[in-house]
Amino acid sequence: MRVGLVGAGVISHNHLPHLLRLGAEVRVYSEAGAPELVAAHGGAVAVSLDELLDWAQVIDLASPTHTHYALARQALSAGRDVICEKPLARTDEQADELVELARQTGRHLYPSHVVRYFPAYARLRGAVRDGLLGDLAVLRFYRSGGFPVRSAWFADLDLSGGVVLDMMIHDLDIARWLAGEVTQVSATWTRAGDAGQPADTGQPADTGQPVDTGQPVDTGQAHDTGQPAEASHVLLTHESGAITQVSGVWGAAHLRFTTGYFVAGTGGTLQYDRAADRGFVPDLARGPARGEAVPETDPAEDPYYLVLADFLGAIRDGTPTRVTAADGAAAVRIANAALRSARTGQPVTLVAGAAS
Amino acid sequence: MKIGIMSFAHTHAASYARLLRGEPDIEVCGADPGPHQAGEVRGAELARQLGIGYADSHAELMAWGPDAVLVTSENANHRPLVELAAKHRAHILCEKPLATTWPDGLAMVQAAREAGVLLMMAFPVRFASDFARLRAQHAAGLLGQVVSIRGTNNGKLPAERAWFADPGLAGGGAFADHVVHIADLVETLTGAEPRAVTAVSNRKLYADRTEAETGGLVMISYADGAIAAIDCSWSRPASAPTWGGLTLSVAGTLGSVDLDFFGPRARGLDAATGRPIELPYGPHHDVPMLREFTSAVAAGRQPQPDADVGLRTLAVMLAAQESARTGTTIAVRPI
Repeated sequence: MRVGLVGAGVISHNHLPHLLRLGAEVRVYSEAGAPELVAAHGGAVAVSLDELLDWAQVIDLASPTHTHYALARQALSAGRDVICEKPLARTDEQADELVELARQTGRHLYPSHVVRYFPAYARLRGAVRDGLLGDLAVLRFYRSGGFPVRSAWFADLDLSGGVVLDMMIHDLDIARWLAGEVTQVSATWTRAGDAGQPADTGQPADTGQPVDTGQPVDTGQAHDTGQPAEASHVLLTHESGAITQVSGVWGAAHLRFTTGYFVAGTGGTLQYDRAADRGFVPDLARGPARGEAVPETDPAEDPYYLVLADFLGAIRDGTPTRVTAADGAAAVRIANAALRSARTGQPVTLVAGAAS
Repeated sequence: MKIGIMSFAHTHAASYARLLRGEPDIEVCGADPGPHQAGEVRGAELARQLGIGYADSHAELMAWGPDAVLVTSENANHRPLVELAAKHRAHILCEKPLATTWPDGLAMVQAAREAGVLLMMAFPVRFASDFARLRAQHAAGLLGQVVSIRGTNNGKLPAERAWFADPGLAGGGAFADHVVHIADLVETLTGAEPRAVTAVSNRKLYADRTEAETGGLVMISYADGAIAAIDCSWSRPASAPTWGGLTLSVAGTLGSVDLDFFGPRARGLDAATGRPIELPYGPHHDVPMLREFTSAVAAGRQPQPDADVGLRTLAVMLAAQESARTGTTIAVRPI
């Protein structure tokens, strides 16, 4: 299978080796970094997007969020199957249009909600499906890490959707996967420090984007160190009556990647915390540096491998996948409803999958 | 010092009595007039078991002439007892939440102020050594600017006393029981004023035990831009080895600190049933809290947490209840 990978940032290092291991031929197109990525893992560099679209059967988008829509539309229209990093698109309308376009063209479209493939979350889903927890009542998820200062677009809410659309969307998706459709969304959001001037590089970011008043208001006061931080809490009410809290933090650069959950139902509770539930705990004088852009995973059961194996298997054999394009669009809708609630200061009602 | 315990309705009455009765120079006497719920050890019998004095009525307790009282009644009954104690010039340690309605809370604070008696709130968790460490690190700037707080206060639906499940006497359910502790901790840490509250709730857990909400999630926005989320649910199964706990995760621009106030414990398994054995250890936060109260009474200084903390945490609790009821975000009323 010929896979065209778009983008050569941090997350591409979690795509390319797995695509190759799955037996795919891979070419990489990126505005920057493609030769280095290929040198590290294998594959070949595509000199243009057109070359990639001509050559590939499957396009794998590991590019910034705001580029997903146009690239996916172009690839689907060219008759290519598409794998897309989350979020599926920046806006609800874009995500819905991509789902519809995939249906019309008969092409596969898969959003990489990789957390569904992390073993602690897959185990939780299995337990819920098997009825171990009974009727779900209260769900709580949290996720935090360093503010992604490696690339300026993360800090621009118009482009990335910030911590809600970039990171918390994982848990918003998991909550819907476990407890069903969401009827109400409310959120708080805050940012502190100067996200345009990350402390560890001192480089001013490209902030040439127009100011969009349609985003949450920055209520934080700048801290004198200039360390950027962004945080949000989101509350969901599910159709079933279950309630969910999702909390996310992009904080100091040294932070370990933290994730966890606590789920309570009438049959019992399950909880997980990445810091507490570790099978390998090194304490070495010359250990690896602190801070992670993506969580370390077990290579024998790597979720970044499993998600791509699921998608390529579906494209090859027509097997069902753990996550669908419609799931990706639903997650975008919930995340954008959260941003809207944070901006207006009031809960947002979702009716039959659409915002009202 | 003579300390009266007004009502044994709250389970904390017994633990306060046990801690105070051995103190030198402190005499303890309780009053717990009935009628009482069948099957609950209350009144003179509980006083006898605790080894403290007993008065048949609150009026009789006042006639004993206490220097200070602990108000440990059902939440909805705090007001008349606080007013009675204030009238008799007794300083007051009031169980949380301060009250179940805003007018009650205001009246209690005014009664204490007019009588010139000290009013302190019973928020023991803020006296934990780990919280003092957190405050010191925050004060030293090690966290940078606090942006986000996650708090959990999950427990069983309290079973020792039936009134906890009675929304009329308890002033609600999980919101009334578990929001105020973390609201107090956040305010103590950052000093920021709570501005708006959004909350959701349900009644899936313990649905056969109460008409009140048993699941509750609360978000609070603060004046300094920080945001907090509290899980106050009674989500600990009745069969669990311990009552529950309280955690706080504070994220700032320079890093984060996680606290698990009742977390440290020896763990094992029971050979006969396979059930987990969990034996929590560590200091009892009630000890420094009671010491703050008695030493402030002795010295005639205002103890902390004071009446304003009681009112502000009550305002957050009431806003959470109103938000869950109306499906809207509620502005926290100023004191």
